[in-house]
Amino acid sequence: MAIGVAAVVVMVSMGRGIQKRVLDMIHDMGTNLIVVNAGHITLVGGRERQSAIVTTLRPGDSDAIQDHCAFVTEVAPETSRKMNVQWESENLMTDVVGVTPAAFQVRNIKIEMGRYFDSAENDTARRVALVGSVIVEKLFNAEDPVGHRIRIGQAPFEVVGVMKAKGVDANGVDRDDRILIPIKTAMRRLVRTTYIQKIHIQVAHSGHLQRAEKEIRELLRERHRLWDKPDDFTIQNQATLVQTEKESTRTLTLLVASVAAISLLVGGIGILAVMLTACRERRREIGLRRAVGARRRDIRTQFLLESLIIAGLGGFFGAALGMLSAFLASKVGGWPAIESWDAIGLGLILSAIVGLIFGIYPASKAAALEPIEALRAE
Amino acid sequence: MIKIKNIKKTYTKASVSTPVLRGISLSIQRGEYVAIMGTSGTGKSTLMNILGCLDKPTNGQLELDGVDVHGLDDDALSALRNKKIGFVFQQFFLLERTTALDNVLLPLIYAEKYPVDAVKRAKKTLVSVGLEDRMEYLASELSGGEQQRVAIARALINDPDVILADEPTGNLDSKSTNEVLEIFSRLNQEGRTIVVVTHDRAVAEHAQRILELKDGQIINSVANSKLKNSSDH
Ligand SMILES: Nc1ncnc2c1ncn2[C@@H]1O[C@H](COP(=O)(O)OP(=O)(O)O)[C@@H](O)[C@H]1O
Ligand SMILES: [Mg+2]
Repeated sequence: MAIGVAAVVVMVSMGRGIQKRVLDMIHDMGTNLIVVNAGHITLVGGRERQSAIVTTLRPGDSDAIQDHCAFVTEVAPETSRKMNVQWESENLMTDVVGVTPAAFQVRNIKIEMGRYFDSAENDTARRVALVGSVIVEKLFNAEDPVGHRIRIGQAPFEVVGVMKAKGVDANGVDRDDRILIPIKTAMRRLVRTTYIQKIHIQVAHSGHLQRAEKEIRELLRERHRLWDKPDDFTIQNQATLVQTEKESTRTLTLLVASVAAISLLVGGIGILAVMLTACRERRREIGLRRAVGARRRDIRTQFLLESLIIAGLGGFFGAALGMLSAFLASKVGGWPAIESWDAIGLGLILSAIVGLIFGIYPASKAAALEPIEALRAE
Repeated sequence: MIKIKNIKKTYTKASVSTPVLRGISLSIQRGEYVAIMGTSGTGKSTLMNILGCLDKPTNGQLELDGVDVHGLDDDALSALRNKKIGFVFQQFFLLERTTALDNVLLPLIYAEKYPVDAVKRAKKTLVSVGLEDRMEYLASELSGGEQQRVAIARALINDPDVILADEPTGNLDSKSTNEVLEIFSRLNQEGRTIVVVTHDRAVAEHAQRILELKDGQIINSVANSKLKNSSDH
């Protein structure tokens, strides 16, 4: 019983979590998006993992997509690396992400203070940076960082703006714990690589996603001279991403749902057994109550109420257990879960229904006892 | 008050019919104190249960307070037991993990309307059976005599027309037996109708009238000549 309600609570909480994650994804990436990743992306525990460093995706690929693919409206290449960042005596490790100004629109990045950097600054590889709110918090002790000089690795950068806070993304990465710099600056002056990790591509509308994806795949295969080899990149469009996300968690939801159903059933049978025993062992009580004026329906009501109370207690402990499990699942297991009070309500209602359904038979049996038989019982 | 005519009761078990009551007629007046006597197994309890509308006769008529019970449905019988009959059983039948007070209140729960002064009434009734300092005790914490007095208080709470007591002293020692019989005598003096079933002549002799049951029939109905005055004790 308790486990059943717990499972219901977990299920609803996780359902909410997944829904939020999908919405986040859409919000974070804008709409009508295709993402090209270098190498292979796998989902581990509901999070994306890149299998190995792959160096074949280049800025030239990004430009080619922009120039040759018909349905594409914006292309935003990206490279990132975890680096040490220093300001005065403070320093920390954070994701330093090189992007073009196109990323601001494609990835829905807004400015809180200061300004964006522009294409000219990208082309001339200027050392300018946009920082996230966590950086402001930790590195600048919440002071206004705009105009200050920081060091990323060894190179000095000027902070030109602060990004609006976005929170933790679907993969558990804090999107405010990062610094954006022009991608050309990143490649020439900082990481000194010729390859990039990602390209975000926006198409005019979602009906074009499939065709654009096909075009991009053909283009990249040709440019990478893959011939008969498998892709050395992963293309995901938003529709597929949302789908994958849902599928990766559907199994779990199903599992939890069946646990819920089974344990509610087991709980119900438990109640049935307990109440049938009570009905047998308390025959004298039933007889006595009948003798002093209880009608059959009074006996039935009493027994039904008792079933409900047992079920309610089970439901209560279940709700507590479910909250705890959902909490642990999100904190330790990394599964998305949102605590939902209405899930607890649902759990309690379900347990009440189970209590009623499995209480009806014993209650009717108790009510059907003839008073004289009940009194004579040993 | 109570009128029965040619009551028969036959138990049928595994297609063997056992006639227990073979045509009993009697009438009990309001305010009477009647004992039904007989050896064990003669059908005293069966008769008592029929009088109390807990059981139905195979044949015959039962009239309570001018109402023919035969035509009443189950709910109406419950209401009738609640209002007009107070039961006292040999085994007391109290709710064990319930206080004396709540045991006495039980019939009021099933009354048509729960009286506003229920608790006051229950306490008064408990006082009248000498249990003023046992009200909050659980039934299981009381002695047999005390338990039976709680049961009597419970029988009295709805101010019934008749008290039906089936071997009320069967599980009691002589001291508690006397206490219970004294209460019955006092209640009868206050005008209460009482029917006591017993196999014990000493108990029966507290009644005004003694009916003897044998082989499913009343073989003797006598006014009690040796009626003791309850104040003799
Ligand atoms: N439910 C029943 N089914 C079959 N026989 C019964 C039942 N109840 C009582 N009897 C039988 O009826 C007879 C009278 O029982 P009862 O009224 O309890 O006697 P008493 O109270 O005088 O000892 C007994 O022989 C008993 O075995
Ligand atoms: Mg008997």
